[in-house]
Amino acid sequence: MDRRAALKKTAVVAGSAALVPSLFSLLQSCRQQPRLGWEPIFLSVNQAELISTLVDALLPRTETPGALDMKVDMFIDVVFAKLFDTKGQDEMITEIDRFDELCTEKFGSKFTELNTTDREEYLKQKEAESGKFNGKVWGTAVGDQKPVGFYRTIKSLALWGYFSSEEIGKNVLNYDPIPGEYLGCIPLSDVGNAWSL
Amino acid sequence: MANYNIDAKRNMTYDAIVIGSGISGGWAAKELCEGGLKTLILERGRMVEHVIDYPTMNNDPWDLELRGALEAEDLKKHAIGARAGFVGANNGHFYANDEENPYTEVKPFLWVRGHQMGGRSLLWGKQCYRWSDLDFKANAEDGHGVDWPIRYNDLEDWYTYVEKFAGISGQALGLTQLPDSHFLPPMELNCVEKDIKSRIEKEFPGRVMTIGRAAHLTQPLNGRGQCQFRNRCDRGCPYGAYFSSNAVTLPAANATGNLTIRPHSIVNSIIYDDKKGKVTGVRIIDAETNESIEFYAKIIFCNASTLSTTQILMNSTSDRFANGLGNDSGELGHNLMDHTYRVGAMGRVEGHEDKYYKGRRPNGIYIPRYVNIDEKTKTDKFVRGFGYQGGGGRSNWSAGANQEQFGGDFKDSLMKPGPWEFFITGFAECLPYHENKVTLDKEKVDKWGQPVLAIDCEFKENEKAINKQIKKDAVEMLEKAGVKDIVGFDNEHEPGYGIHEMGTARMGRDPRTSILNGTNQIHAAKNVFVTDGACMTSSSCVNPSLTYMALTARAVNHAISELKKKNL
Repeated sequence: MDRRAALKKTAVVAGSAALVPSLFSLLQSCRQQPRLGWEPIFLSVNQAELISTLVDALLPRTETPGALDMKVDMFIDVVFAKLFDTKGQDEMITEIDRFDELCTEKFGSKFTELNTTDREEYLKQKEAESGKFNGKVWGTAVGDQKPVGFYRTIKSLALWGYFSSEEIGKNVLNYDPIPGEYLGCIPLSDVGNAWSL
Repeated sequence: MANYNIDAKRNMTYDAIVIGSGISGGWAAKELCEGGLKTLILERGRMVEHVIDYPTMNNDPWDLELRGALEAEDLKKHAIGARAGFVGANNGHFYANDEENPYTEVKPFLWVRGHQMGGRSLLWGKQCYRWSDLDFKANAEDGHGVDWPIRYNDLEDWYTYVEKFAGISGQALGLTQLPDSHFLPPMELNCVEKDIKSRIEKEFPGRVMTIGRAAHLTQPLNGRGQCQFRNRCDRGCPYGAYFSSNAVTLPAANATGNLTIRPHSIVNSIIYDDKKGKVTGVRIIDAETNESIEFYAKIIFCNASTLSTTQILMNSTSDRFANGLGNDSGELGHNLMDHTYRVGAMGRVEGHEDKYYKGRRPNGIYIPRYVNIDEKTKTDKFVRGFGYQGGGGRSNWSAGANQEQFGGDFKDSLMKPGPWEFFITGFAECLPYHENKVTLDKEKVDKWGQPVLAIDCEFKENEKAINKQIKKDAVEMLEKAGVKDIVGFDNEHEPGYGIHEMGTARMGRDPRTSILNGTNQIHAAKNVFVTDGACMTSSSCVNPSLTYMALTARAVNHAISELKKKNL
């Protein structure tokens, strides 16, 4: 059985051995904030909490919805489960845990338990040390794309999940599924926010 | 639309058989049917009817769980196609299943295939450029390959003929190296493209930038609607605004009442009757039942796509043609070409922050060839030339991934369009090298027991020298145009990425060095015509599909006239 199928199975078979650690973390998380309000299909509950906390810090609610409002954490869990191949999945698992370990080394507590100041400091550090995406032409990166690391990967997935969500795509950005014409040079003020598609 | 006649059971004999229903096969069928010939199209894939079979054409990102990306499981079926960077959940069903259709890469080669009615005409880039005598005379003048048996003059009226029906939008420029088509109104350049155009043309006399010439309707034509600027072409266009066999040529062929199309029909071989001394039909394998069936016709058009056509010819052996149909010269399978295209430059454009655009234009800019077009522009670094495609636009939220920011203000800033960006990428002509070839890999068969193709092809010194100049010139042009943060790139890639496979059954004047004559007939089997990319004698630097259309219409016209004279 491949990993994805195995994971799906663990999610539905109650009482299986594989479920025990998840249940355990779920119980633990009852005593902590934030509490995960959904059941991950790929991540452990602890890992999912980290992703939730991270995407909330990256794209918090303002006058517009935040990443958690758009269920970006759930989307990333699905992306890991279905888009990533086994190798990519294994890398992500290692990297998530490493992200938390480094956090604990530096601040003495897990990422989900950091105060706002420490969290910002940690993310600033990650911004500075993470690789960047090369430019793309017609869907493929130009030049030699080096790995961008866990932080930048999650950030790009968070942006993708957030900005491709229906609420942001239809009601915050400018949604125009059938423009009907191409006008090459119009005042931005006529449009306001960016086109969503 | 009238239903297609897919019942080929009742009739095994036709006036004409067309193998393949992509860009050139669709044209062959239309012209043959309109010429009064009962025509059978053999299509190896499934039926795809215009609009009816475009299930994803209106999807928004949020309509799919992975927002348009392919699941890892599905990606396995498109491991090859996905290398080109274009495959996703909304168009994956128009890419062939790579697991079921293996080939052998003697050297790395990307072979992107579309196995369905319409073939890759559903997926193509739609850029349409006439070739010129610079292209048709090139082999004769610099001695690479063999001379084309035709010149621009032979094809000019046929270009006009197919353009009037296909619908090509573009701007007339009066250039000899890039003859104007019969144009529908051009699409518009945006503010930044206009600005860069004027700066490049001022700084580099002899270079021009224009809107891409593309098979997108900018006015309604023959009942088809004009482009709505959704840029969702590769899912199938509900308006029929871009040229595809499904929207344009096959309905026209069907309207004559002369068309039968048989899907799931993998051509095993073309039947040469040694007693009669001629080709009499085609042997197929039903892809669903594995049944072997023969169909007969007076003439056969091979339009299976460059490499598939050659694969069929190689697999068509007889006492007369032990090494493949029409292969007296030994050139069958040789002289494979593609275009290189991942070399160029990109950068950020300052200014115009208060400007934007409306619509998602499925088209970019074009910079026609300006090197080696006359004595004045001759270089000693390489023969032949290159052109650029590209375009400008404002970046969006995805650029936020690289910005060293996070948080509420950062998020809200991404609601606005980002900086303007501009890029150009060159398309280089590839020379016809005898040693760039395909053969049948008899060690390996596919799930239908057919020997797979082994592809042995590479770019060589001339292509590399062109690419060097493409990158250098691209960076220079962007610098002079005031573009900032310029990144020049040369993503060396294996052949096939251009998805412009050409050659392997070339046209020529001499049967001793070519497979086809000047009207695309196999020299020694004149009732067989090859009018897809396999027939190409050189590769030019411009996109080839428009030339396939013109060659096909011309060849059918010749075929019908020869049939009337009872010469075939």
